[in-house]
Order: sequence, then structure tokens, then C-alpha cells
Amino acid sequence: MSDDNLIIYEEEIEKIDLILARMLKGAEAKCALLVDKDGHLITRQGFTHSLDTTALAALLAGSFASTKEIARLVGESEFSVLFHQGKKDHIHMSLVGDRSILAVVFDDRTTIGMVRLYAKETAAELVKIFVALKSKVQTESPGLSDEFAATAGDKLDDIFQD
Amino acid sequence: MVSINYATREVTCKIVYYGPGLSGKTTNLQYIHDKVPAGTKGKMISLATEADRTLYFDFLPINIGKISGFAAKFQLYTVPGQVYYNATRKLVLRGADGLVFVADSQADKMDENIESLNNMRENLAEYGYDADEMPVVLQYNKRDLPNVLSVEEMESRLNPQGWKSFETEAVTGVGVFDSLKMIIKLVLDKARKSQSGAAQKKQPVSAPAETAGRPAGVEAREEPAPATPMMEPNPVREPAYDATTEDEMEDESPPAEDSGVEYSSLKDEESAEPAAAVDRVPDSEMAMETGPKEEIAEHKESWGQSRPYPGSTSRINRRGRRIKVSDFQSSPKISDVSEPDEATAQHEDNSEPVERQNLPSPTMAPSNRLVKQKRGFFKRLLGIK
Repeated sequence: MSDDNLIIYEEEIEKIDLILARMLKGAEAKCALLVDKDGHLITRQGFTHSLDTTALAALLAGSFASTKEIARLVGESEFSVLFHQGKKDHIHMSLVGDRSILAVVFDDRTTIGMVRLYAKETAAELVKIFVALKSKVQTESPGLSDEFAATAGDKLDDIFQD
Repeated sequence: MVSINYATREVTCKIVYYGPGLSGKTTNLQYIHDKVPAGTKGKMISLATEADRTLYFDFLPINIGKISGFAAKFQLYTVPGQVYYNATRKLVLRGADGLVFVADSQADKMDENIESLNNMRENLAEYGYDADEMPVVLQYNKRDLPNVLSVEEMESRLNPQGWKSFETEAVTGVGVFDSLKMIIKLVLDKARKSQSGAAQKKQPVSAPAETAGRPAGVEAREEPAPATPMMEPNPVREPAYDATTEDEMEDESPPAEDSGVEYSSLKDEESAEPAAAVDRVPDSEMAMETGPKEEIAEHKESWGQSRPYPGSTSRINRRGRRIKVSDFQSSPKISDVSEPDEATAQHEDNSEPVERQNLPSPTMAPSNRLVKQKRGFFKRLLGIK
């Protein structure tokens, strides 16, 4: 299980951010979130200041997971694209590789077609990065230092007081 | 799966509260949410039915602050306890780093506890996890009720594996933090063990060029900022976006042949800003409906009044648009606007930027009037008739 730990370096995040920023510009979308299927936020781009991205990431992952289950019940392996339409803002979610979700928030300044087109291109680029990252993590396998757990233990007592 | 992000310097772990229906999983989270300091917790999200039964999951993010330069974040989830929600219950377990099993101590609930525990093992097995190898903490909850089983009996029936167990009363909070602290310790221990098992040393010596994001030695580079509150998870990340777009624009502007491109991109941004400003309104409404009031207050402060986003330059852009020559040229109603006070009032009212944009051009009148007034003023001043 620990082999699946999601470890991402600055270098990859910079690459991903560039790709997402380019997509946002091209598709004229408001913001993009890259979310792990477990609900962890990997990175975000665009106007996300007003959004609670932590909660959003958890909910997007939950939404995607339940849709996957629906797909399984109707005999599909997975719905790879999900679209939520609102009055003004819409969300387009698509699968990136096998463990990430790209969510793009956009409004009526652009169209679902544009977003879908750019999201598809972006997903293909991101998959390459994730594949490279996986091999990199396997060769380097860094992680939490010993003192991390120890220091955390001390800190917990301060925070969690009845 | 522990998520380690070297770019945002975050370590995120997922802890799931499992157990039969009405055993007190959501109550656990609510108590933690109520008692933990404001800067440490995020917004608690509850996907529940109208009868307040958990439908999908409850979610509470906790940030215990910087440790070795990394922000340690824990995402607490609960599952729906009712038997027929197994499909969604299984989904929540995905990627869990640790489990807190909340058992109901009442004598007549023992069968449900056992059933739920078996269900947990099955669901974990479907993801390829082994419950015996995972960090698990047991809670014997509702110890304050009269018809409870003895701890020894519960231990013998639920805990042959020898998991750490706590007697708790989730409503009053007895034992809630103890079990939370224990599961966090177990999760971090497990993460450390698995990492050190994979790598001989915590700091790989290879690839020195990329060591900017390595765990040790990071403290020196960290700014002495206090633990980041969860509502704005990583404020440092945002400028990166603005910076790149600014860079791009700077790159585009100097060559003369690119001026067309530059103009269109600028125009796009200008037209984008007011629309975004209007879009802020439903956001706020949504937050008011769902979020606790304290958080709305926090949001409101950061929104500002006329800026759609903190740090936005939309005000400047609007002002720039106002005096565009093209706006003035196409106006057919210049002479119609006779009341200067009304016009100026409209002019200053920036609550509806888009509507104002669509008006024929009421902005025409005040500027004209101002120019005329000024001319008259100078004529009078100079004594010219």
C-alpha cells in the first residue's frame, strides 16, 4: 500500500502548473484543480482564492468515485468525463491517467466543447508527467523523516486539548 | 496513501472513522470540529440525509502546522454506517491511511459491531489492503449509557488483533482526542517505517539539482510564517500563476508585429474582469446557505467590495475602459443626457459592471459636461467672453 504513496516534487508541479495555465488561457476557463482520486489536491491554477479547494478536492473525488460505481452498475468500467452544469458556472471533470482527476471550472464566456478539447489535450500531457514521476519516485523513494513523526507527536498534545 | 507534495510542502493523510450506524462517527468529527483551534481546522462538510444521517461521508480537514518544514494535514472522513449504504461506504475507504473503528458499547449492538467490522475487512480487501497491517484504533463509544458491555468482553469479541482501544463518549468528548492522537501517531509511524524500508536513508544523495524540495534542511528556507489556516491552504502558490501570465504578457508586448495579439489578449482580460465580478455574487450566496457564519465573515473580509478576487486589478481595468475613445464615438444619445448629477451617480456606481457596459453610453455626458465647465471656467478666469 505504501508503494502507492503520492509523492510529487516541485519540478513536476511547475510543469503541471504551466500546462494548466496554458489550458486555462486557451479554453478561457476560470480555474483548474488537479485532484488525486483519494481526494488530495495536487495543484490548482486560476482564480481559486475564493474557493475552499481542500473541501472541493474531497468532494470532487467523492463525486467521481460515486459516478464510477454507477458506471460499474450499468456495465461500464468507468465514466471518464463528468460535467456539472450550473446557472453560471460549470465544472468539467475528466480522468487523467488512472489516479488523478482534472476539474475545470468555467462560465459562459467559453463553451463546453472548448473546455473538453483543451482538457483532453492537457490530460494527455499530464499523463506523461505522471508516468515519468512514478519511475522517479521508485528510484529515489524519499519520504517522511524520522523526526517528522516524533515532532508531530509532541505537537498533537498542544492542539488536541479537551 | 500518504500524499507528500514537495511543491506546496504538505504531507496529507486520510483517516476514516468506520463503524455501525448511529455508533457516533459523525459525533466524533463534530466534537473535534468544535474543540480544535480555529486556525487548525477547515470547514466541516457533511453529506447527510434530511434526517441527519450520513449519506456519503463527513469531511473535516485538520492542519497541525509545520513539522520539519512540511505542513502536516489530516483529512478526517466518516463513512455512512447504515448497512444498505455499503456502496458509498466502500468508496470512502479508498486511499485511507488509518482507521478509527467506532463501536457501540450497548449490549444489543454487539452484533452490529461485529458485522460492521467484518464489512470493513471485506471492503479493505477489495482495495487490496489488509486490516491487520493498517493502523487501526478502536473506540468503545457511548460508555455513559447504562446497558453497556464490559470493556473486557468487548475486547475479547472485537479486538483479537490487539489494536489500541479507548473508552469514549463522543457526545461529551471523553477519549475522542486520545484516539485521534493515537491514530495520527500510528499513521505517521507507519508512513515512516514504510519509507525507511524502501529507502536506506531518509535523504537520497542522488540528484542534488532537485534537492530544493527535500525534507531535511528545508527549515532554513521556510519563512517564519505561522501554521497556515486551512481556509487558504497554500497562499504562496497563487502568485506563481499571476507571475507567469504577467511574464507572458511582457514577452508579447515589445515586438511591434505582435501588437494585434497583445491587444486582443488585453481586451479579453478586460472583458473577463467585470463578468468575474458579477460571478462573485452567487458564490457568496452559496456560502451563506451552506457554510457556518464565522467562515462567511472571513470570506467577506477577503473579498473586498469592488474587486472580484483579492489582488485583482479589475478596478484599474474598469477605469481604463471607462475612458476608452471607442466608447464615446458610437454613442447616439450624447445630447439626451441632461441631468449631470444622475449621470455621475451612475458613473460611480460600480455594483453592476456588466449592465453598465451594455448601456448606450451614459458615461459620455459627465466627461463632456466637465470639459465644457472647465472651458467656461478658464474663459471666465481669463476674462474672455
